[in-house]
This record gives sequence, C-alpha cells and structure tokens, in this order.
Amino acid sequence: MSEQQEYRFQVNLSGMINILSNHLYSSPKVFLRELLQNATDAITARSSLDPAYKGQVSVEIAGSGNNLTMTVEDTGIGLTEADIHQFLAMIGHSSKVGKDFLAAETSFIGRFGIGLLSCFMVSDEIVVLTQSAADGPSMEWRGKPDGTYTIRKLDTKLSIGTKVYLRCKADCTDYFDPAAVEELLFYYGALLPYPVTLLAGGQQKPINAVQPVWFAEPELARGRRQEVLAFGARLLSEPFEDFIPLRTANGRTGGIAYILPHSVSLNTRRSHKVYLKQMLVSDKAENILPEWAFFVKCLIWTDELQPTASREHFYEDDRLQSVRDELGDAIRDELVRIGSHEPERLQRIIALHALPMKALAAEDASFLNTIYKWLTFESTYGERTLGELINEKRKIYYTATVDEYRQITHVAAAQSLLVLNGGYIYNYQLLEGISYLNPELELERLTPEDVSLSFIDLTLEEKTSYYEAIRLADVTLQRFRCQIQLKRFKPTELPALYTLSRESSALRSLEKAQESSPDLLSSVLSNLGASMGESAYSTLYFNLDNPLIERLFTTGSKEMLPAAVEMLYTNALMMGHYPMSRQELAVLNQGIVRFIEWGLTANAGNGGAK
Amino acid sequence: MMNNDFETLMDEAYDLPDGLAKLEILEAAARYADSEGNIEQGYEARAEIVQTAIFHGYPLKALIAFSWQLGQYDRSPESFESFNLMWSYKWIVGQISHFPEIPLHKIEELVEDLGKRYKEHGYNERTYFYYRFRTAMDLGQMDKAQNYIELFQKADRDHMSDCDACEQNQIVQFHSLLGEHEKALEAAKPILSGDMSCAEVPHITLAYLLLPMLELQSEQEARKTHIRGYRLIKGKRDFVETIGRHMAFLALTDVKKGIDLFEHHLAMAQDHEDPFHRMIFYLYSAKLLKQLAASGSKYRPRLPVSFLGTEEDTSLDSLADHFAQLALSSAQQYDTRNGNSYYMETAEAVLRP
Repeated sequence: MSEQQEYRFQVNLSGMINILSNHLYSSPKVFLRELLQNATDAITARSSLDPAYKGQVSVEIAGSGNNLTMTVEDTGIGLTEADIHQFLAMIGHSSKVGKDFLAAETSFIGRFGIGLLSCFMVSDEIVVLTQSAADGPSMEWRGKPDGTYTIRKLDTKLSIGTKVYLRCKADCTDYFDPAAVEELLFYYGALLPYPVTLLAGGQQKPINAVQPVWFAEPELARGRRQEVLAFGARLLSEPFEDFIPLRTANGRTGGIAYILPHSVSLNTRRSHKVYLKQMLVSDKAENILPEWAFFVKCLIWTDELQPTASREHFYEDDRLQSVRDELGDAIRDELVRIGSHEPERLQRIIALHALPMKALAAEDASFLNTIYKWLTFESTYGERTLGELINEKRKIYYTATVDEYRQITHVAAAQSLLVLNGGYIYNYQLLEGISYLNPELELERLTPEDVSLSFIDLTLEEKTSYYEAIRLADVTLQRFRCQIQLKRFKPTELPALYTLSRESSALRSLEKAQESSPDLLSSVLSNLGASMGESAYSTLYFNLDNPLIERLFTTGSKEMLPAAVEMLYTNALMMGHYPMSRQELAVLNQGIVRFIEWGLTANAGNGGAK
Repeated sequence: MMNNDFETLMDEAYDLPDGLAKLEILEAAARYADSEGNIEQGYEARAEIVQTAIFHGYPLKALIAFSWQLGQYDRSPESFESFNLMWSYKWIVGQISHFPEIPLHKIEELVEDLGKRYKEHGYNERTYFYYRFRTAMDLGQMDKAQNYIELFQKADRDHMSDCDACEQNQIVQFHSLLGEHEKALEAAKPILSGDMSCAEVPHITLAYLLLPMLELQSEQEARKTHIRGYRLIKGKRDFVETIGRHMAFLALTDVKKGIDLFEHHLAMAQDHEDPFHRMIFYLYSAKLLKQLAASGSKYRPRLPVSFLGTEEDTSLDSLADHFAQLALSSAQQYDTRNGNSYYMETAEAVLRP
C-alpha cells in the first residue's frame, strides 16, 4: 500500500452541488459536457507543449445496477499532486463566494475542479486517476458528495492523461444509457478536432468521425449544399432547405445560419447552437444574432466570446455587440447577393419569412431596395407582390393606415385606382422608403381627401335645388365637427364616404378618453386637444348617384333628413371602427327608436308624416 | 382584422415587437373591448398600450390610454390591481412637461396628485421628490431641481422607486446640462463601471458624458463612448433626444458622421410624438447643417419623402434655417409656459457660430 491521506474539504460540498444543479446548470446532463470540456482543455494544454501530439477521448460504460459505471479518459496533460491540491483549494474558495466565482474562473485547473463537481449530480463517488505530462507519480483522487476525499500516489505508472470514473446514482440511470450518452457526446462534441469514441456493450463507436471542413471555412459551404444541409438536420434536428454562411472580419467567429423551413412568429425565442473553441457551449444562445434574424437557426463557432457562469449563454458586452452586428451584416449581405444572383431563391425565403424581412428592410435601405419587388401587399387589385403590381403599369397609390385604406377602398376600386394598404405592420414605412429610393416608380401616398378630389361636383342648378337640404344636413353634424358634401361618385351602391385625417382620428380617441378620465387628466387632455382642434374636421360625402341618397335629399322632410343624416353618420363611424362618444351613441339610440316609430306609423297607414 | 375578437387581437399584438404596428393592433383591441362594453378587457389592452407607447415615442397615446385607466380605477378601485397603474403614472408625469400646451400649474397639480396617490398606497416620499426633481429639471428650474435631489436622496428606496441606475442617470444629466462636467463624470462612475444598468442605462447616460469627456478627458475617450452609446440607441425611436445629443458631440468633432445620424433619423424624429425630443433633434441638426454649410460644402442631405413634399429649397443653408426655426419656436413655447428663458438661452448658445 502506498501512502494515502484522508482529507476533508473545508467546505459544505452538498451546498456547492446544490448551487450547481439547481441554480447554475439547466440539467444534470451537462456533466458530460463538463467532462468533455475538461478533456478538451487538457488536450489543448498538452498540444501547446508538443505540437506533434494528437489527443483522443474514450468514454466507456460498463456494469449494471449498483455497478453501472462510466469512465471518461483523455490523453491530455494530466494533473500533478500540486494541481490536485490547487483545484481542491479552488473548490473550497468557490464555495464561499458562490456562483460569481464560477463565472470568473477561467484557469484550466479551476475549471477542471468545477467541472468535476458537476459529476456529483449523477454520481455518488468520483474517482480520478491521472498522470501528469510533467512527470512525477501517478495520482488517485477519490471524492464523495459529503465532502470527504482521499489522495494517494500510485505505485504503478499510468500513461499520460486523466481518467474519471463515475458510479451511477440510483435515480440517474438515464444519464448512463449508452444511446443517450452517444447522442449527448455528439451533441456537445461533434466538432471536437480529435477523436471521441464510446465503448458500450462490447461495441466501440466513433462519435465525431466526420469533421466538416466547411464549418471552419464557411465560404466553402456554398459548394457543398447537401452535406451542409444534412449536417444541420442532424445537429439542429430540423430539415432545412437553405442556409447562409457566416464569418466575422477577424475570423474568430463564424458558422452557418440555416433558414427555417417554416414561418415563425416575430417574438419567437431565437435559439442558436454555439461552440466555444469547438465545444458546444449553448444550444439556446439568443443574444448572438440581431433581433430581426429570427428566421434562421445557427450553428456558430467562436473563440472570442465570454460564456456566463453556467456556460450556457454569453455575457452581453461590447465584444458580443460587435459580433452580433457583424453576423447580422453577413446575413443581410448574403440575402442581397442572393437577390441579385438567384432572385427565385430570395423569393422563396421572403414568402416564408415576410415579416422579419420587412422588419429588416424597414431599417436598412439597401436591403429594402433589393427585396421590395417580392414584398406582398394588399391592394385594390388583390393580394400581389409589388413587382407584379409595378408591371400593371398603373400609377400606384398607398395609404398610411388600415383605416384610410378601409375608407377609400370601395371608391378607389370603382375608379380603377391601384391602391396599396399601407396600414399593416411596417408597410407604410416600407412604401415611404421605396418611393424615396425609386422616384421613377412614382409611388404616391393617397389620403381619403385625395380620393374625393375626383368626385363629380353638382351642377349649378343642382346646387341651387339641394341648397336647403345640404345646409340642413351640415348643421345637423356641426356638433360632431363633421362637415357634409354632396357629390356624385362611383360605386353608386355606396351611399356615403366618411373621411377622417390622422389628426382628427387622434382627437377622436383623445376626446373619448376625456369622458372617462379623472378631472385633472381630463383637463390635461383638453389642453392637448385644443391645439389639434382646428385641423380636426371630418367629412361625410353623400353620393347623389346613390338612389337612396338622391331620394333622401330630394324628398326628405325637415324631421326626416337630419335623422337620416345622423344615422348615416353613426353608421359610417361603426363601419370604420371609430370609437364613439356618448353623444354619438345617444344619437344612434334616439335614431333607432325614431325610425321604428315612423315605421310603425307608416304601417298604420299614415305615411312618414306625423 | 375586422372580424377579430379581443383575444385574437391581443395575441397578435403580443407576437409583435414593440412599435407602431403593435400599438395599432392594441388600439383596435381596446376599441373592440369598448364596443362590447367590457371594461376589464379595455383596461388590459390599455395597460399594454401605455407600456408600449411610452417607451417607443408615443407619449400622447400613452397619456390617453392611461387617463382612461385611471378614470376606471377611481370609479371602482377594488376591481383593479393598482401597482402597475401607479407605476405607469410615473412615466406619464415624467413626460408631461414635454407638452408646452399644458400649463405650469397643471403640471404641478399632476406631480402633487402622484405624490398624494403614492402616499395613500403606502409609499414614502422618495419617488415623489424624485419626480419633483425631474420635472424641475425639465422646466429649466435648476436651483429647485438641486434641492429636490437632496430631498429625494434622504428618503429610503421602496417598491415604487425608480431603479438606482435610472436615478443616477438623471443626476448625471442634471450636472451635464448645467455644464458641471466634473460632477457629471463623477456621478457616472457606477454606470460606466457597469455596476448600475437597466433597459435605458447606460444608453442615455453615455450621450450626456460626451461633452464632459471631450472637455476633461480626451477626444479619443469621448469618441469611444460615442461609439459605444450610439450602438445602443441607433435607429430606436425611444432615443431620438439621445441621438440629438450624440449629434451635439459630432458637431464639434466629426460633422460628416453627424450628418449621417441626421439623415438616418430625421424621418423618425419628424413623426415623433414628443415635441421635446423633436426640439433637441432639430436643434443639433441645425447646428450640424450650419457647420457643414460654413465649410463650403455643397452636399445635399438625403431627406425623407415626407419632408421633400413640403420643402422646396433643400440647400444646406435653408435646411439649417428651417430646423433652427423649428427648434427655436419650440424653445420659445417652453419658455413662455415655464416662465423663464432657459430653453431659448440654451438653443441660442448652441446655434451661435
């Protein structure tokens, strides 16, 4: 028996394990990542001493029941006795300062210890056998979660490297299942630049046999489409049809952005897989791409970002900011390139991801100019792409809001005007931008007032004969700050057109809120409303070509005409989804009652007159 | 959109990033709830409107929705949860002075009302004094503001207090506006070190440190801070005023880059609902354009369609005049309302060659 010493951590190890498993890591399965990370660090350290050296990692699962064990062996730099004492001291220290220490710790030895502790999530005993490349005796460390451990020097000399034995905890067999372990090893280690193998049930399996060169050199990916897509499908578990290579200028971050084959909501949480120094750090890194880029799912490698304590995200710092900006630029530039070389391909992407594309275009003029022809708009000529609509060779108008579009769509269609609905998400902004960038297209903003310019005025005789009726109708709506106009316009089925500017629309909701606000705020609102007041007249156009209107203005009595005008006015408000004031609702209610009375009276044989 | 019910509209809104598009759908949801006479839903939609609008340059929409909410709350306080409502009252009071139409006494009454309500809800005077300080600062009453800083710092923080980063940021702004550059930099230390941060800090703070750094440290240091700060706010409507302050720095160091910022954000500034944001943006736009013109440049800035429609002459000189006039007339409106000459003096000093 060689010399053996019993020690006890001067720490509450169960507290540490609690921090690790309940607060730091999202799942116990990360113990495998931590072990692979330790092995990788050890191999990297040994390579820096001896460039000719080639590392490897072998994982073995053996036994069953109480004797189910896992061994993870690397041929890395190994630990000396001093190293072991050092990492133990660091664990002692980190237990006092908690999570923050874990985050700050970046030295090989420090991380080694923290990584090792994570194994207590799945194992009640950890044995480490190690031989340092710096010579000295081979060492054994045996630790238990109660904080006791032993260190001893071995008589025999092991080959250089470290071997970690784990004995499976009763409720952790899932984490020792060979198929699951194989999957996890691939998941974390698919890109490791040295062979990782798994031995289980007498079978030895390579984990990372294929090392795609195009991953490190994303420019090469374009020439290997199928391979790139298949790789993405395996690592991201989704079938993709398209991708974009990524690389920052300094070459320290790169990867592949796979374009999602289905539409996603604008607020979808974006999760990308990020490899730090070829080890998977995170499969839900959200902050590595700009917000608009949620139509892609990425595999990214980097060696320049700082992971958080849990190693599952990255710190939001200036470096991350600039990496994010550059990756965003790479995606945008590639889309622009696709647009000029393979327009059909871009069209497919836009069709799937219209909203994020619009969001991006709204912020970026050159991108907007690349894609605008493929953007789809609702128009009086149907739901079409702007490119198709331009080919109509008509003058193109657009509205600023859905309300405006709704107000004029019937009239515009009847006049064969081509009007786009600028009211939906980003549309107005985009149309303004397109018209600025491409003056030759002669896109023009259309307001309801503009439409009314094409209405036919009454003749002088008509004006004279309808003079009284028009005045009466106008007076009726005066108190709602609405003026009336009698015109002739298409379509004849449309009795009236209500138009309201953006300003008066704002005033309407302001006055509505005023009705139910506390006095103080109500008077504040009225101060604000006062300055909007002058411009806030709305207009109700009556269509003399409409038979009902014609009859109303020709034969309506002094009682009937105002009542009907009020009803048409409130009807227009309801059709346009405008908030109605108490006064307007009251008018509507009185009107209904009055017309029912008239109807009943008429039924009784008295005609409309009282 | 016409046949959508309340829940569908709200779901659609939650799916959108904050901004005008989301607001329009939330407003449609509020109208729908109103037409159904459903006060609870109307309240829910408006709570979202307030929060979305206040942080994306639509203070008027926020005020309108908030007033409605507060009215419903006062009518039956037991029907609504009050914390969020009281919390959003701060946002309203924080921006109310930006509207020159609102008379001074009414602003005073609003801050008093906020204080009274907070007291009734069991909060201490810190937040009330803090908003007294902020309002005084916005009204150009700097001595008064100084007093309130001392008062609010004496009271303990509680659940209604703004976060420490926000409070510290306002103190930095205060010193920076007064030209107390040393104090501004000193106050900014915990923000620069990253110990204090939130959704708007250091975004806003950095802009207020540019001139202090330029004077007391080095152009290089100020430029680094400009790059860091600008990256955080570029293209964001909520920060039009802050962008204006970056333009102030660029007017002294890099006019060409300053014109970039001007071109990039003019459309956004023009349809910003907050006249104070517009004034600051226009003021430094005018300064930059004047300087470019004085250098003999014949450059034609890119201008948004909405602008081209109304202005014939787009030479640098006449653009500079145009924006200077807009800024000055706002400044005059504020001063008339505030009963002092703070904004005119500031604006004239900026525009002096």
